[in-house]
Amino acid sequence: MTTPEILTIILTTAVTMGTPLLFATLGGVLSERAGVIHLGMEGIMLVSALVTFVVDLQTGSKVLALIGAMMAAGALSGLHGFVCISLRGNQIASGLALALFGTGLSGLFGDALIGSTVTSLDRIPIPGLELIPILGSAFFNQDWMVYLSYVLVAGLWFMLFHTNWGLQIRSVGEAPIVCDALGLSVAKIRFLCVIFGGMLIGLGGAYFPMVLTSFWVDDLTAGRGWIAVALVIFAFWHPGKALWGAYLFGAAIAFQLQAQVMGLKIPSYILEMFPYLLTIVVLTVVTVRNRRAGQTFMPAALGLPFFRGDKH
Amino acid sequence: MSVQVTVTVGSIVLALILGSVLLAMVGVNPMEAYPSVGALMFFDQWGWQDLFLKMTPLLLTGLGVAIAAQLNLWNIGAEGQLYLGAIATTWLALEFSESLDAHFMLPILLIGTFVAGGMWAAIPAGLRSWFGVNEIITTLLLNYVAISLADYLLYGAWRDPSTLNFPMTRSFGESSYLPMIGSTTVHWGLPLGILLAVLTWILLRSTTIGFQIRVAGDNLSAADYSGFNTKNLLFIVLVLSGAVAALAGMTEVAGIHHRLQQNFSINYGYTGIIVSRLARNHPIGVIGTAFLLAVIFVGGELLQVEYQLPIAVVYLFEGLLLFTVIGSELFLSYRLRRRVAL
Repeated sequence: MTTPEILTIILTTAVTMGTPLLFATLGGVLSERAGVIHLGMEGIMLVSALVTFVVDLQTGSKVLALIGAMMAAGALSGLHGFVCISLRGNQIASGLALALFGTGLSGLFGDALIGSTVTSLDRIPIPGLELIPILGSAFFNQDWMVYLSYVLVAGLWFMLFHTNWGLQIRSVGEAPIVCDALGLSVAKIRFLCVIFGGMLIGLGGAYFPMVLTSFWVDDLTAGRGWIAVALVIFAFWHPGKALWGAYLFGAAIAFQLQAQVMGLKIPSYILEMFPYLLTIVVLTVVTVRNRRAGQTFMPAALGLPFFRGDKH
Repeated sequence: MSVQVTVTVGSIVLALILGSVLLAMVGVNPMEAYPSVGALMFFDQWGWQDLFLKMTPLLLTGLGVAIAAQLNLWNIGAEGQLYLGAIATTWLALEFSESLDAHFMLPILLIGTFVAGGMWAAIPAGLRSWFGVNEIITTLLLNYVAISLADYLLYGAWRDPSTLNFPMTRSFGESSYLPMIGSTTVHWGLPLGILLAVLTWILLRSTTIGFQIRVAGDNLSAADYSGFNTKNLLFIVLVLSGAVAALAGMTEVAGIHHRLQQNFSINYGYTGIIVSRLARNHPIGVIGTAFLLAVIFVGGELLQVEYQLPIAVVYLFEGLLLFTVIGSELFLSYRLRRRVAL
């Protein structure tokens, strides 16, 4: 294989592998901008992957499968919201509970599905754009969920930074007590962001049976939800940067797969560590750089429960 | 105290009720399953011995998580620390158990595993103390690294060639087996865990460093202004936390399997977080909550055997329990608030 060919394969795989991370990261960004940590991504992704698989198996409709996945993800996130926002429970602990609960649900109800298969989405080339050398086929000869993710990146960016809603969401994440004094309902805005954010995370879970694996296995998402949790941090809670972060990790996974295919003399279990170690290194670099610059980018009220009438 | 007990018992009951709904959905009658599982668990010799065996790693990982929680640190890496502990134990046992007798072997395993777990936890600890890197994410990601490391060794250098299908190491020499208590199958890992829990409590109550940890846990900047070296404190506490959690790997491998094999941990590390949280991070309370979670584990195992359910049923109940426990914390704080107001 020539170098451009290998590069094209790695880039294409990077986008495919990065897309579920991208969806989940976008969901995390939305929720955390409003001040609620969404640590339970792994559980939401597993359940929505299961729902996608089941609905697809029963109806054969990809669209229905996706709607089902988003509804399931929204419901689970609603539970997280209820515990964190209404009951003022610890967001990290609730997220962990969600991760365990979702893993349990998908394992329990997915047990009967092991061995069944569904079809994967077709690639739809975009005329003209797909002909760009190397980049064209990687970014513009993909399935429609990848294109949906581009739209969501742009849409979420526009909503967060150029609309009144976005301003309200970001304010609730920075200074809920001020928002409350101005007459905004902190609880309502947070609930909506947690649920819609959860639905985006659900799209990430749905991507696994839609594109990545056509058969059901236990623990289908294999820890990718946790990588997305880290990605939210080094995307600086920004949808545009989430795109690059997700593809960087997609590329790490693509490199790992490609190295196996090409028979490089690195044992596969050592390669498996690579995306996780890379996450730690990048997180460290980003943290150190931000501390030097004296900036954190983190929403100021992230992780703090808010209750009307509290004296702060 | 009595309010705490009531709320905790209430949240356990609520989790059981919610779980029964889900069990009914997969065709298991909870009215039948709960009593039969309960009877097997508490009145059958295999059952209660298994309870104490499952309680051991949960106590050690829970204690590890609780130690970190004293400084409001989240150690979500107990699973990886447990794996690393098991790897350290396995290396020592494979190297020395045939040439050394138990008097030397067991202390070597204990100290070696403790040190190895501490060194592993020093990675997120150092990153947190000196660079401010979020320890929740780093401890969590290192779980995957430790599990891959175990797989690498199991499929490679340590694989016993005589086992064709399942990757596992050869059996250790008998000098590395943790001895059993009396004529039971329960090994000495359990008393070790209880001893460590008590020692942790004494350390926090009655030593200078324990005092510093308590002050820093209440208010980190106050501790800073008092001249405590809070960076060192963060580092030491997270390292200790990982070292204790790693011992769970030793008790599993040297106490039960006597070899390293794949999937020997049923999320014991992650469950440690629930054990600690349920005890509100109290080192002595962890002993009780580790037993409670052991009940869920053995219950799940029995459901697996009796009703052919997957092991995921354990995670399901754990998740539900954690939800009800954190959800109920509001009611505890309300009680406190009203008392203050009066």
